Amino acid sequence: MIRGVKPMREPTFLILTALAGCPRHGYGIVQEVKALSEGRVSLLTGTLYTALDRLAAEELVEHDRDEEVDGRVRHYYRLTARGLTALTAETARLRQLTGAAETRLRALRPGIA
Amino acid sequence: MTGALARRYRRLLFCYPRAHRRDELLATLIEAAPPGRSRPTVREAANLIRHGLRARLGRPASRTVAAWAVLAAIIGGVFAAAFATRAGWETAEPLPRAGQTRAMLAEILPGQDLRGIEDAPAMFVIYGHPLGWDDANSMLFGDGGEYSLASVGGAVDGIPVRPPQETLDLARQRLRETGWTVYRPIVRNMYGCIGPPCDSSAIPTDTTVVAQRGNTTLTLQVNSESTTASTFLTASLQRATPPAVYPFAVGGGLAGAVVAFLLFGWASRRTDGRRLAGGVVTTLFGATMLLWWAPTLFAVPLMVQHHLDEPHPSWHPMWEWLGQPTLSLLFVVGGGCVLLGLGLAAVPRPRTEAAPTTAPS
Repeated sequence: MIRGVKPMREPTFLILTALAGCPRHGYGIVQEVKALSEGRVSLLTGTLYTALDRLAAEELVEHDRDEEVDGRVRHYYRLTARGLTALTAETARLRQLTGAAETRLRALRPGIA
Repeated sequence: MTGALARRYRRLLFCYPRAHRRDELLATLIEAAPPGRSRPTVREAANLIRHGLRARLGRPASRTVAAWAVLAAIIGGVFAAAFATRAGWETAEPLPRAGQTRAMLAEILPGQDLRGIEDAPAMFVIYGHPLGWDDANSMLFGDGGEYSLASVGGAVDGIPVRPPQETLDLARQRLRETGWTVYRPIVRNMYGCIGPPCDSSAIPTDTTVVAQRGNTTLTLQVNSESTTASTFLTASLQRATPPAVYPFAVGGGLAGAVVAFLLFGWASRRTDGRRLAGGVVTTLFGATMLLWWAPTLFAVPLMVQHHLDEPHPSWHPMWEWLGQPTLSLLFVVGGGCVLLGLGLAAVPRPRTEAAPTTAPS
């Protein structure tokens, strides 16, 4: 069991995962989260920025740069070292849980891979 | 199309604090909007209002602050509404004078000699007189329930001129004839004993009839027991809730909720990261929530039951639904905790204490 790791909510996990590849702006995160969840999670703007505020306050994400596109300034966010550690820990926690569940399921129905 | 959509989004973004990244949010909203959309969806609007208010609390890292803010806003709103309701009652027409009352009651109860009709000293009274500073002890220490809507009326003592049931039937007939709305009578067993060994047919009963005409309510009580030593009948008039009370309550409630929400957010931000002051203010806040919510949660079901059990042409004033002023001591102590907490939050942060990390701009 992974001790000392606080479970993340799914949108938080997906936002951090979206930022793990490269810095993204607000709408970029929304699109990436949708793609990562295969269309299941569609973040609303209010929810996204509340999550970003919280993650920034927890020093898991930070402002990367600003870019101007079509007269509008895009603010990019990136994962911090602390954010990367938290995402790694959460991934390990989920992997451990998934592994445990798979072991049980295999025992229950041997045909399942 | 985008201009209209942006304008509507911008209006919703007023829920966010001025210093917040409204432009950044707007850019994301516009980018995320599908082509042809001219107005935000209800889900989007609700999401922006909810998260905008959340952002106004200024505690992005806290997971519970929003729930506490909602509790504070609701209870602040309902108490403010109750105070506003009392202010709204000031618009009520004064109660009928004694002479006018005598004439009104004679119309309903012909031939009855009602005694003791006197002018009401105020719209609300405690032990028959207007509320004053001398009543502070009574109000705070258990007798707050005596503070109630005044009435003007009289009583008939001794043997009645007509039998009780005939008196009731005639009164109800006269009430209808003179334009009153008459509600179902309430019959109470005067000994409070139902079933064996009590013989209910032999136990005297007390029948109450309530009626309303315009801004006046009437309460008529008739005792089935007629002796020379007992009161046979009482009749009294009260004012119904004036219409102005409702807008007063709504306005006061909304204003109170907004003030409570903003004050909570301010105190929460001021004490964030301050171990001692934060701990004391959190304790005071918890005590206030307990002292204000407990009487409310206790009183509301009782009042609902009471209103379902008996007809009420005019509902009890709002403060009684919050257990006030019967439990006013709890409210006052809670108010003291609020003032103390706000005072502590206002104390400047010591230079040695680092301000908490805030969201980037």
